[in-house]
Amino acid sequence: MNQPLIDLQHISKSFDGAMVLDDLCLTVKENSFVTLLGPSGCGKTTTLRIIGGFESPDQGKVIFDGQDITHLPANKRPLNTVFQKYALFTHMTIAENIAFGLKIKNKSKSYIQDKIKYALKLVNLEGYENRSVDSLSGGQQQRIAIARAIVNEPRLLLLDEPLGALDLKLRQDMQYELIRLKNELGITFIYVTHDQEEALTMSDTIVVMNQGYIQQMGTPESIYNEPENAFVADFIGDSNIVPGIMIRDELVEIFGTRFACVDKGFGNNTPVDVVIRPEDIDLVEPGQGTLSGVVTHLIFKGVHYEMEVTTPDGFEWLVHSTDLFPVGKKVDIHVDPFDIQIMNKPASEDEEAIGVNE
Amino acid sequence: MKRKIESLRKILADFYLVLILIFLYAPILTMMVLSFNTSKSRTQWGGFTLSWYQQMLSDPDILAALSNTLLIAFVSALAACILGTAAAIAINSMKPVSRTIIMGITNIPMLNADIVTGISLMLAFIAFGISLGFKTILIAHITFNIPYVILSVMPKLKQTDKSTYEAALDLGASPLYAFFKVVFPDILPGILSGFLLAFTMSLDDFIITHFTRGAGINTLSTLIYSQVRRGIQPSMYALSSVIFLTVLVLLLIANYRPKEKKPVPGSAPSNGSLGGTGKDPSRLPRQIQKWAMGAAAVFIAASVTWVTWKNYSVSHTEELYVYNWGDYIDDEVVAMFEEETGIKVTYDMFETNEEMYPVIEAGAVTYDVVCPSDYMIQKMIENDMLAEINFENVPNISQINPEYMEMSRSFDPENRYSVPYCWGTVGILYNTKRLEELGVEPPKSWMDLWDPALKGEILMQDSVRDAFMVALKGLGYSMNTIDEKELQQAKDLLIQQKPLVQAYVIDQVRDKMIGGEAAVGVIYSGEMLYIQEEVKNLGLDYSLEYVVPEEGTNLWLDSWVIPKNAQNKENAEKWINFLCRPDIALRNFEYITYSTPNQGAFDLLDPEIQENKAVFPDLDSLENSEVYRYLGDEEEGVYNALWKEVKSR
Repeated sequence: MNQPLIDLQHISKSFDGAMVLDDLCLTVKENSFVTLLGPSGCGKTTTLRIIGGFESPDQGKVIFDGQDITHLPANKRPLNTVFQKYALFTHMTIAENIAFGLKIKNKSKSYIQDKIKYALKLVNLEGYENRSVDSLSGGQQQRIAIARAIVNEPRLLLLDEPLGALDLKLRQDMQYELIRLKNELGITFIYVTHDQEEALTMSDTIVVMNQGYIQQMGTPESIYNEPENAFVADFIGDSNIVPGIMIRDELVEIFGTRFACVDKGFGNNTPVDVVIRPEDIDLVEPGQGTLSGVVTHLIFKGVHYEMEVTTPDGFEWLVHSTDLFPVGKKVDIHVDPFDIQIMNKPASEDEEAIGVNE
Repeated sequence: MKRKIESLRKILADFYLVLILIFLYAPILTMMVLSFNTSKSRTQWGGFTLSWYQQMLSDPDILAALSNTLLIAFVSALAACILGTAAAIAINSMKPVSRTIIMGITNIPMLNADIVTGISLMLAFIAFGISLGFKTILIAHITFNIPYVILSVMPKLKQTDKSTYEAALDLGASPLYAFFKVVFPDILPGILSGFLLAFTMSLDDFIITHFTRGAGINTLSTLIYSQVRRGIQPSMYALSSVIFLTVLVLLLIANYRPKEKKPVPGSAPSNGSLGGTGKDPSRLPRQIQKWAMGAAAVFIAASVTWVTWKNYSVSHTEELYVYNWGDYIDDEVVAMFEEETGIKVTYDMFETNEEMYPVIEAGAVTYDVVCPSDYMIQKMIENDMLAEINFENVPNISQINPEYMEMSRSFDPENRYSVPYCWGTVGILYNTKRLEELGVEPPKSWMDLWDPALKGEILMQDSVRDAFMVALKGLGYSMNTIDEKELQQAKDLLIQQKPLVQAYVIDQVRDKMIGGEAAVGVIYSGEMLYIQEEVKNLGLDYSLEYVVPEEGTNLWLDSWVIPKNAQNKENAEKWINFLCRPDIALRNFEYITYSTPNQGAFDLLDPEIQENKAVFPDLDSLENSEVYRYLGDEEEGVYNALWKEVKSR
């Protein structure tokens, strides 16, 4: 039953004349983990708030499981939200927080008790019923916020940068928790973040957004490996984005040097953008590679070294490698054909404005 | 060495602090101490007593004013809380620019002078035809309380995370349920401190209440003010002490905030052992909260019902609105009148003729019977504000000595508008012992007040006509003169006298003279019986005598009149007739001690008092005396300008 649970149709929204979402269309399948990823101001949170019912779109429809819920108020929607700053009710105990939604639905006392126990167990905070919100750490508070949402058994859980306020270690732990929860509960997650690593780690599907538009949508692998434009390539991980000319299928010219690649269908002698991930560049002794250059910068990053290699045309190539090449050493660059990703030049002015070559 | 300087600095700093505290609180402490003083004197300690507090608690006026004050404070604070909180929520959700503008606008009434707020509210009420009364005070208090509530709720709203409200909606709560369950508890401390602040402000207010109150409604502050005419009674010290302490306690509560706890994101280790006991101690138990809410609700409902009942249940009976000088009738007399006639009297007081006049003129409160002085009656007649009295309804007019009806003709030429109530003279009160010490003869003439030997010993009346009367009479002119030369001469004379004068005062002449603070003072004769009794009671070693100077003096007469817009004219005539009854007039005289024009009452008096020339001077000996005449606005302007010159020199 892989029918769409959420179907956003031609959503537009502007605040004070500033367009935030422009004719956005998005479908989310039942039981998937979809991440809306993008820089701040890209419209991802607004999209989430429109689904949650806290904003209403200027145009377009929100379809939930085949029903139009565009004008349904937030408190009538069959979904729940986990907020960025937890939004726990500080004057209530943990148990009262969790029971809030259930009480409104007039569930029986024993049902509510069972649910509280179950939810606390699920988020690994058993025995916290009578604690006050203030006595909990940030990670614990976030888990309570999740517990409070899931006891209502929503079919869709919206998460608005729920890990944003946590420190790195806690964030990583919580990422695994969320994946586990998702798998145990079988609920559809729509997750908003600006952290690409978080998105890559957790999602089934990533929706990269910028300036109110969806830039690319796909699995983490396809987003990372085959970015469709310079923005996506730049936003997801580190990349070298260079202008090139597609000589013909499977051959691209960069800075006067021709590279074999695997992409086809761009036509002959077409200007394109070329993306090469830093870890896909092999540094070899001079004379053994395609392009020659000098190492101009070196940082030890733990897992690998990060180096910059400047080629005669002045371009600084970012290279990740476990082998050390000291600064000043002459090297050659080698790239395997399947590591070269060819993209069309920006199609619209909006995309152009994002600053492709920094 | 350095240590020494340090400790010296510390001592000086402490000393300075003590000095400031004394400066701030010494006056209030003095008042509190005096409220326990057996003696009425402000300078002598007569032993400890609680009788002023007892007197305060047994005075029906004070109790009525107290209940009004508390009710107005409570209801206005409550209404302001509801309106102010709603406003704060609306303002908080505005865009920053409009929010700043609106906050500025709501803050203006707080910075505005109370008197401006008071007068503009009064004008607004009159313009919209709302008659002044309990409800206008209430509206006024709600008005000036709202900004305080907004101001104390606003910061709490800003602290409140908007997403908690959204989270409640998200969990299925209706907007109203979400507000009361989630937002309200968060901003409740702000609302409560706003309530206490508003309650205190309302309790504290005099000026705005003064301008917006109607007939017969007093709060504590307006009551105290209206009692000032007869001098401040020690029971007022007691009352003021109680008010001060109440306000102090309320402010302390309003400013007390439990220490706020901040959540520490991501730092606190999970502390399982605290699992069951981590309840927030600053939170009241649910049960008590519910009880408090319930009790408050019952109290509000009860008080609103009570006020409504009190204000409207009597509306079918006969009514009479009386406007009189403060402390100018025996309360028993009012009660007797109500009992005999079944007419419900609403009794209200003014302090000066000038204060009374605009109230009657504006007609926001329609009084049925008023007791102004001679010249003011003339002014009211000239401005067509008075109704002719139907003397068929006032048969007791025959009890008034015809001499006084004759005297009335100077301002009411045909005796059609007024019935004399009290009369008296203005003269010089002197301290026999003090004059002996100074080697000065007892005064006989107004010009004795220009004796250089009396430097710093003279108390003059601080009102334009009374001050000029002294000078004009001393010069042998009429006190109603409009001759510019004569007035200039009088002005020069008053300026010449200034270095000798200890103070220009009105009511304090009596108490200052009793306290032995000055040798001579210009005073109204009505105070004499009280003064002589007080001197006797206090066992003072000096006597205070009263003399009407030989050049003649101001012969004043306060009479009852009926304003044209009176709603109950016949009741007003019943009232006047009742007060003219000899037994009633006698009772009143014994309370007020101002000379009565009622021959029937006079005949019932002890010969000793009949013979007291200070109380009942021979009218023959007063042949040079005059009654104040209303001189017209223009001439009054001239007097005022000259008086200003005197005062500013």
